[in-house]
Amino acid sequence: MGDGRLSNSGSNSSSKPEWLEQYDVIGKIGEGTYGLVFLAKIKSNRSKSIAIKKFKQSKDGDGVSPTAIREIMLLREISHENVVKLANVHINHADMSLYLAFDYAEHDLYVMGDGEEHGVVKIADFGLARIYQAPLKPLSENGVVVTIWYRAPELLLGAKHYTSAVDMWAVGCIFAELLTLKPLFQGQEVKGTPNPFQLDQLDRIFKVLGHPTQEKWPTLVNLPHWQADLQHIQGRTYNNAGLYNVVHLPPKNPAYDLLSKMLEYDPRKRITATQALEHEYFRMEPFPGCNALVPPQPGDKVVNYPTRPVDTGTDIEGTISLQPSQPVSSGNTMSGSMSGAHAIQNRSIPRPMPMVGMQRMQPPGIPAYNLASQAGMGGGVNPGGMPMQRGVSAQAHQQQQLRRKDPGMGMTGYPPQQKNKRF
Amino acid sequence: MAADFWTSSQFKQLLDPEELNAVHPLDKERGITSEDYKLIKFHISNYIVKLAQYIKVRQRVVATAITYMRRVYARRSMTEYNPRLVAPTCLYLAAKAEESTVQARLLAFYIKKVQSDEKYRCEIKEILEMEMKILEALNYYLVVFHPYRSLTQLLQDAGMSDSTQQTWGVVNDTYKMDLILVHPPHLIALACMYIASVQKDKENTAWFEELRVDMNVVKNIAMEILDFYDSYKLMSDDNRISAAMNKLP
Repeated sequence: MGDGRLSNSGSNSSSKPEWLEQYDVIGKIGEGTYGLVFLAKIKSNRSKSIAIKKFKQSKDGDGVSPTAIREIMLLREISHENVVKLANVHINHADMSLYLAFDYAEHDLYVMGDGEEHGVVKIADFGLARIYQAPLKPLSENGVVVTIWYRAPELLLGAKHYTSAVDMWAVGCIFAELLTLKPLFQGQEVKGTPNPFQLDQLDRIFKVLGHPTQEKWPTLVNLPHWQADLQHIQGRTYNNAGLYNVVHLPPKNPAYDLLSKMLEYDPRKRITATQALEHEYFRMEPFPGCNALVPPQPGDKVVNYPTRPVDTGTDIEGTISLQPSQPVSSGNTMSGSMSGAHAIQNRSIPRPMPMVGMQRMQPPGIPAYNLASQAGMGGGVNPGGMPMQRGVSAQAHQQQQLRRKDPGMGMTGYPPQQKNKRF
Repeated sequence: MAADFWTSSQFKQLLDPEELNAVHPLDKERGITSEDYKLIKFHISNYIVKLAQYIKVRQRVVATAITYMRRVYARRSMTEYNPRLVAPTCLYLAAKAEESTVQARLLAFYIKKVQSDEKYRCEIKEILEMEMKILEALNYYLVVFHPYRSLTQLLQDAGMSDSTQQTWGVVNDTYKMDLILVHPPHLIALACMYIASVQKDKENTAWFEELRVDMNVVKNIAMEILDFYDSYKLMSDDNRISAAMNKLP
């Protein structure tokens, strides 16, 4: 990975950086807040496709973007069948650009298109992911824009901490979206406010799940915006929960039962990932499988996922400078050459294209795939519900037992910040 | 996964102390010895700590930065990777990795405050270029597990909460050596607790013996730390440090 010899390009006088020689770049397949994504074939093994994600330089000339650092950091540690594999990292020292090379998956939600892993769903885009247990800053503090559709009610009401319960809420929203092919709570975001309170989003949640009460959610009254914005919320009446009408499932259906437990108001009562994997829903027909492209039951219709359009008009080389970089502090070097690339792209692709691993733009009526990267925490969901996830829970159980034997393995939590001593 | 030390890249890549003492051929040419390596890394660790005090980042960021620096020199030469620039850059990168980003501009400013020696001055651009070189040298492995993580719980469990501050201080000192590249962090934490309990004259043998860890390893780590304290005066001798630093380009 990231072999220095492959990555060095400064002394090379040809038009291509050396590392790029190992690929045949086919075209651009996506772009987002963080950069561009290209589709490439490995020259030595033409059957293998690679997605090359090129990071824009951070705008204030502050080196490698923290998003890229987070993504590299996590993907370098994770090796899992359902997580996209980071095949290589390349650095172009001349213009200080950074590239992540991923095993390519044909479909959004990162379903593998060909080869041994045909139909396997992978989680992609760890740009917003954090290491669990690390104290977190709100994403907004990093200038990250995420849609509010998957945001848990406690965060909208001013809770300060991202917890795994927050992720489970997002999973619930995506589960519902997979069932109906329509986002569950499509709130209008009030932009540019430091206040987490988003009335429209809460309004949409309450309309479907009913009015939250202290009885259902005892700590509700401690949330800053429940108190402060009481009149906004209290001024409206919300009828009883109608979730089953929205997802068109009878309340007794196990899928509905699981969903309603993911969308539990009280984060402390919300189902955990481990509990969810034990749920009846995953033990009944159609059984979970690991190929998303195979119909759940013989005779069912095969789902035809759209293949990703490739823009062959944008050449990766046009975005790479082999000249020593201009003063970086201006940060304009890359954005200059990239805006050219954008112009071409805009003509050749009719609509903003949802791209795995990139931030989704939020046009109305977007198709219901490509959700994984939007769960707020970079978590995706697996529509099939895969058996190996149960393996994971077994492993977790094993670790729990090991932990009992060796207290050193617990490694739980850092001491509170005020206790941190400096040298 | 990233939340578990035993499956981490750090665990898989723990080094043999012998490997750490090997002097890079390029450095050998300049007459740099493995003793100089120790001194320079000690000095540079202290430099990172001082810089961190100015930019006000938490101890974990400091610990990660020093770990990066030590990992870099497990593979690369000091001749090619100037420690005076590697130090602030590791802090810069660690701050990003630990979610408390610091501006390069600010860092360049504080370098002048911390070090009057002109040789330490650096341009923002140099920090940014070195950041990429360090990412490469680290082979893009950025997650670091530290002894701090298990310390509070272990102290509590051992009934040693009153020794928190002292133990914490010993853990901080372990970053002046290469221990974090050689041992699992919870064993370092235990060794630091062992030292604290011995110093306080607290009989805690029973608690340590009950642990399912190899106490010989813990005691050996503790011995290494105590040896380091013994040599502390010699290590912090300014003349010796500048003699070693002067061998660098």
